[in-house]
Parts: sequence; structure tokens; C-alpha cells
Amino acid sequence: MLVITRKPEQSIVIGGEVEVIVLGITKDGVRLGIKAPRTVEVHRREVFEAIAAENRAATASKVPVQDVAALLRAAQVRKPHTR
Amino acid sequence: MTPEPVNPPDSTPELPDGIQVTFPKGLLGFEQLTAFLLFEPKDGYPLKFLQSNENSDVSFICIDPVTVKRDYQVPLTQEEAEALGLEAPEDALILTLVVVPEDPRQMTTNLAGPLIINVRTRIGRQIILSSETYPLRCPILLQD
Repeated sequence: MLVITRKPEQSIVIGGEVEVIVLGITKDGVRLGIKAPRTVEVHRREVFEAIAAENRAATASKVPVQDVAALLRAAQVRKPHTR
Repeated sequence: MTPEPVNPPDSTPELPDGIQVTFPKGLLGFEQLTAFLLFEPKDGYPLKFLQSNENSDVSFICIDPVTVKRDYQVPLTQEEAEALGLEAPEDALILTLVVVPEDPRQMTTNLAGPLIINVRTRIGRQIILSSETYPLRCPILLQD
């Protein structure tokens, strides 16, 4: 891993078209600004990992889809009375 | 404008026998799997089933998120729309994945990571929405 020291308002350029700028440093964290073309997706890693974890959880269902569907259909019939 | 067709609840005309969908980037955590069959399983209404062609152990139960959250919308970036080849909004099928725990009444759906499928080009993509917009675990059944 490449390690670079940067001060506020300094930046690094990745691949010629992505720029990561240090906007400020506080005791709570580092504020980064990211300039990238629209085609480059920028996300917090936690968001990626949370969705990947939900995807994995979604494949792990032991309940037959018909049983799940039956529950849903029963609930839909009930809805007007519960609302 | 043609009027919206009225479908009986036991059929999905857009998926008579299922459609083959390619997810060029896979789904998060399953990036290596790109070919899926999307179909409505027998007695599975209103759910749909997404089955990997490449790994029979990988399948997902999917739901139309509007049945869970009536005003659900996916703001697509221009880049995402282009990657899907989307030209008309009606070509976009939006589904979210259902997580069914041991007690299926506690099932949730992930509104933060919807699947957008272009039913015309049959290309799909999982979109990442900011976690503040929609919950990762939205309960599907109303709790008594």
C-alpha cells in the first residue's frame, strides 16, 4: 500500500482523472473531497459491505418461496383492516 | 399514451417463462456471477425469483419495492442509465432482495440496494443508494 502524507488543501490524483482532496482535519476525522468523472462510482466502504452482507443474507433463506409468498398474500388481504 | 394494462394477480405478463438477465458487474458480494434467470415461481405471487445460472446455490427472492413503500423511487445517474441501455422508464423493472430469517414473518427487504433490470436489453445492475435515503432492512409485513 502506498502511504502519502497530505496537509489540508493538498490532494492526490489517481489515474489522471480522480482527485482526492483533504478539506480539513478535526479530532473526529478527515474531511475528503473527491473529484471524479460521473462514470466513477464513489461510495463509503461500509455502504458496500452492508449491501453485500444483505445480499449474502438474502441467499441464505431456508423458507420455500411459496411459503413466503403465502404469508405476503395473507397480509395483503388483511391490510385494509389493520390500517 | 396507451392505458396501463390491468393484470390479474396470478400472472405476470412481463415474465411468462422467466427472462435471462445479465448483470455485467454481478451483485455486491457475488461479483463473479453475471447470468441469472428471473422468473415468477409457481404459487409465488407477488414474489419473483432470481436464480444464478452459474451457481445453483445462489438465488434471491425479489419483491416489487412499491408494495412495501408506495413512493419508492430510484434516482438513476446518467451513467447508470446508460450502462443499462435505458431509454424509456417503462423498460426498467425495479426489484429489491428479500431476506427471510428463521421466523419468516420478520422478513425484510433491502431498499438501499435495488436491482434495476432493463427488460428490453435484459441487462441488470444493483444500484447503491445512500443509506440515509432508504433502509437496508425494511420490514415487509406490518407488525401487530
